[in-house]
Amino acid sequence: MLAYALLAGVIFGLYFSLVGMGLNLVFGVMRIVNLAHGDVLMLGAFAAFWLFNLLGLPPLAAAPIVFVVAVAIGWPLYFLFVPRLLRARDPEMLSIIFFFGLSQVVVALATIAFGTNERSIPGRVLGSGPVHILGQSYPAAWVVSGAVSAAAVVLVTLYLYRTRLGTTTRAVMVHREEALATGIDVHRVSAIAFGVGLGLAAVAGVFAPFMMGSVRPAMGADINITSFTVIVIGSLGNPLGTVLGGIVYGIALMVMQSYFSSWANLLPYLLLIGILLIRPTGLLGRTLRHA
Amino acid sequence: MRSALVTVAVVVAAAALLPLAYANQLLLFNFVVFLTLAQGVNIIYGFTGYLPFGYVGFFGAGAYGFSLAVMHLHLAPLPALACAAAAAVLLGLLLTPLLRLSGAYFAIANLAASQAMLQIVSNPNLTDITKGPYGVSLSGVFSPNLSYGVAVAILAATLAVMVFLRHSRFGLALQAIREDPVTAGMAGIDVVRGRTVAWLLSALVAGSIGGVFAWYVSVFYPETVFSPEFSIFAIVFALFGGIATITGPILGVLILYGIYNAIGISAPQYFQLIYGMLIMGLVLFLPNGIVSLFKRWGFDVP
Amino acid sequence: MLRKSLGALCAILVCFSGLARAAEAPKEIKIGTLYASSGNYAGVSMAQYSGLKIWIDRKNAEGGVFVKPFNRKIPIRLIAYDDQSNTATAATLYNQLITQDKVDILAADFGSVLTSVAVPIARDHHMLLIDQTGSGATFFSKDNPYIVLTSLPVSSVWPKYLAGFLTQEGPKLGIKRVAMLYATNDFNGTQAATLRDAIKAAKGAVELVYDNGVPTNTTSYTVTINTIAATNPDAVVALGYVNNDIAFLRNLQDSGIRFKWLFTIYPGLETEAVEKNVGAKGLEHVFTYVPSSVVAYRPEFGLSLSEFRAAWESRFPDGKVEFGFNSVAGYTTGLVLEKALASTDSLDQLALRKAIVGLSGKLKTIDGAFELDGATGAQVGEAQPLGQVELDEHGHLRFVTVYPPELATGKPVYPAP
Repeated sequence: MLAYALLAGVIFGLYFSLVGMGLNLVFGVMRIVNLAHGDVLMLGAFAAFWLFNLLGLPPLAAAPIVFVVAVAIGWPLYFLFVPRLLRARDPEMLSIIFFFGLSQVVVALATIAFGTNERSIPGRVLGSGPVHILGQSYPAAWVVSGAVSAAAVVLVTLYLYRTRLGTTTRAVMVHREEALATGIDVHRVSAIAFGVGLGLAAVAGVFAPFMMGSVRPAMGADINITSFTVIVIGSLGNPLGTVLGGIVYGIALMVMQSYFSSWANLLPYLLLIGILLIRPTGLLGRTLRHA
Repeated sequence: MRSALVTVAVVVAAAALLPLAYANQLLLFNFVVFLTLAQGVNIIYGFTGYLPFGYVGFFGAGAYGFSLAVMHLHLAPLPALACAAAAAVLLGLLLTPLLRLSGAYFAIANLAASQAMLQIVSNPNLTDITKGPYGVSLSGVFSPNLSYGVAVAILAATLAVMVFLRHSRFGLALQAIREDPVTAGMAGIDVVRGRTVAWLLSALVAGSIGGVFAWYVSVFYPETVFSPEFSIFAIVFALFGGIATITGPILGVLILYGIYNAIGISAPQYFQLIYGMLIMGLVLFLPNGIVSLFKRWGFDVP
Repeated sequence: MLRKSLGALCAILVCFSGLARAAEAPKEIKIGTLYASSGNYAGVSMAQYSGLKIWIDRKNAEGGVFVKPFNRKIPIRLIAYDDQSNTATAATLYNQLITQDKVDILAADFGSVLTSVAVPIARDHHMLLIDQTGSGATFFSKDNPYIVLTSLPVSSVWPKYLAGFLTQEGPKLGIKRVAMLYATNDFNGTQAATLRDAIKAAKGAVELVYDNGVPTNTTSYTVTINTIAATNPDAVVALGYVNNDIAFLRNLQDSGIRFKWLFTIYPGLETEAVEKNVGAKGLEHVFTYVPSSVVAYRPEFGLSLSEFRAAWESRFPDGKVEFGFNSVAGYTTGLVLEKALASTDSLDQLALRKAIVGLSGKLKTIDGAFELDGATGAQVGEAQPLGQVELDEHGHLRFVTVYPPELATGKPVYPAP
């Protein structure tokens, strides 16, 4: 039972690292907190639902389309709002409120457009029957979602560490002003990172119908809290830390579900607080900035 | 100082007298609750820069402190309110290590702490103590008029604390910490003590008003008093009005919560949409709050 | 003589005042209620609200609802606000309906959480709260006459037949080990408690080998299902809200694990939502509360299920709100009000309560037999029999009622193949 929970935790954690990745990338590059992250994920989920139901497009084919569309929306959205936000006195905090407003708008529009029903895509679309790994059997949908998440994480790593754009992106993460001074087009880099962040959220949304039972317009709020937990455990602003955070979160959740199910949702929060108190910037965080 | 006191007096008098003219006392009560919570957020965020994203944790702790005192100790409402305040301050003490965190880390750890409180209180294993997920019913002490009065008194006390903070050495020290903790520490300000006091003070405010909320509402579920919307509303109201001032959060609540209710009652179908767009617009065009507008026009706002 | 003429005079006066009263009949009956167009309860709340709206539209198309004290039909005006699933907002808006709009009838929003805050407010203002689906047991007490539960039974009554089946029929079928999983909220927790007590009272006929709660916002059950399977149960009872049931049934289907006997709440209540998300195949042999409308009794008042279904589809053709138990619940509220207004002595709130309590045992709707506990206002009728989902030759869902014996339409399939 423990082995089952541990491995399930890893698969689930991989998926949740994809869920948190976009949020963390946006925070890392722009130091803004995208409270509408969960709602972008919801939109991705609905996109996958409609692509499947209207065009018969399976999620694996929908994912790249959804990603491209999200990036294309994220780009202008960045120039419309973010530079203005960054000029404020406390962008980190102000962005929380701004994106709360955006989140309200997205949920309202989604409710008007889609209604309030639960929606999902049949699990067999991602492969039928359970898959056997290390003597345990897991739903095929889980394994595929986990694998896609792992692939997405690898792609993000390649983007950050193996491309010129990635190098400049990391430079902006480390120090925005210095990057600006060295002639990096900070806004272009940020806009791309913003788009990619939304794209990753939307791709995570494509697999949400399998990992979260069903989707509905109001699901974003719960996703946000989970995403925060994952990325804070891993370290804010460190996209790769998200993977560690996701797996720690996944294993903690699954082990609790197995042994103390009614307390299952408490542990991740305690874990988050506990880890932060020992390492105030998360597991992979650098040392403190100031007092 | 004088204009601040006048503002406070006007707000408190209005809160106390309006129920005579307007029958939807609950609406007024919610205004009083948010006026108080927004000032509580102001104490910790406005004066120290810590954004209490899980502020509702104190509110809920107060509500349950009150309920447990009534249900198990059979206390009268007023002593039970002392338990509510104590519960929140106790939680605040427990969470003081969070103050070591900075920026978004603090905000999110605080959010996690409030969610953890909800998980604990609503766990069915604790049904004998907290009533778990089945909710609390305090119909025995239900008394809307008296609890409304007490809520106004708590609001008055909170505003008085704010006036003091704005005009005392301690308040100035806090603001110095907010601007630059290292320099403030070098200038001889006890940074840790200052933050802790502000933190506990804001916990006390939320706990007290949470206790009154439990008393007034009297039948509720854990989700009701730990709803993250209390935190978000209080923060949005305070920021919209302008933090580190007394008038700011007051204006924020009156305008935004006023609009919230006006849309809710007149055009409910587009409610969420209008409200969301309003908030986005405000952040973009008035990032330092309404009071910055007055300051730009040359008025001095307390 | 004098006495006689005085008597006549009195009679005339009474007659006149009666006439005057009739002339004073209000232009409209104001029904106030709340709905949640967003937030956690949006799906279920909108279904209930839309059901109520269908009743109102139908009455208004006939010129209004018949109100006995005025002996005529009076049009209904619906005043409804959006609480967005937020309880603090709901509290304000309930108060608005009472104090500002001065509604004649106050109906609650969906479910216990959004109803809870209305209970003390209604009581304080001496307004009768028409509690549609807020089944929380704490709402109902002998000292509060200002509440009646109209459209579903109080939570503790729900598992009546489920518990009866497991403890009476279960041992005969070979069911010995029962696993129970429930979402930790009032609605599911109360049902779990009732079932637990029934199993205890059965003194060893069946035993509970797994009894655990999960947080209500749980969306992943794969590990839990594996844990339950490890206890080797003969029967599994999974109590949740509709999204919990969907996630549970989907995860179960994907996991490859099969339980011999499985009960969940919503396949019978929100059949369409669950079928759409889980698929008919995933529901085969699952036990559930059977919607009263497919059980032996037929509604004696109001539309039948197929008629209501047709009315629903013509009124809400876009399919954005799911047809199901909660839409029936909202419509039932209307039917109860219609009957009560036709028999009440006045629009006074306590008179209205008396009229509603008077319907107890006499009203059979699409929702089942209406029975109120007259002392507390809690609904004890409308209990859902236990049924099993089977597929017909076309793969369509079919409910077989298996318990209680007097309503049974077939035998349970055990163990599920």
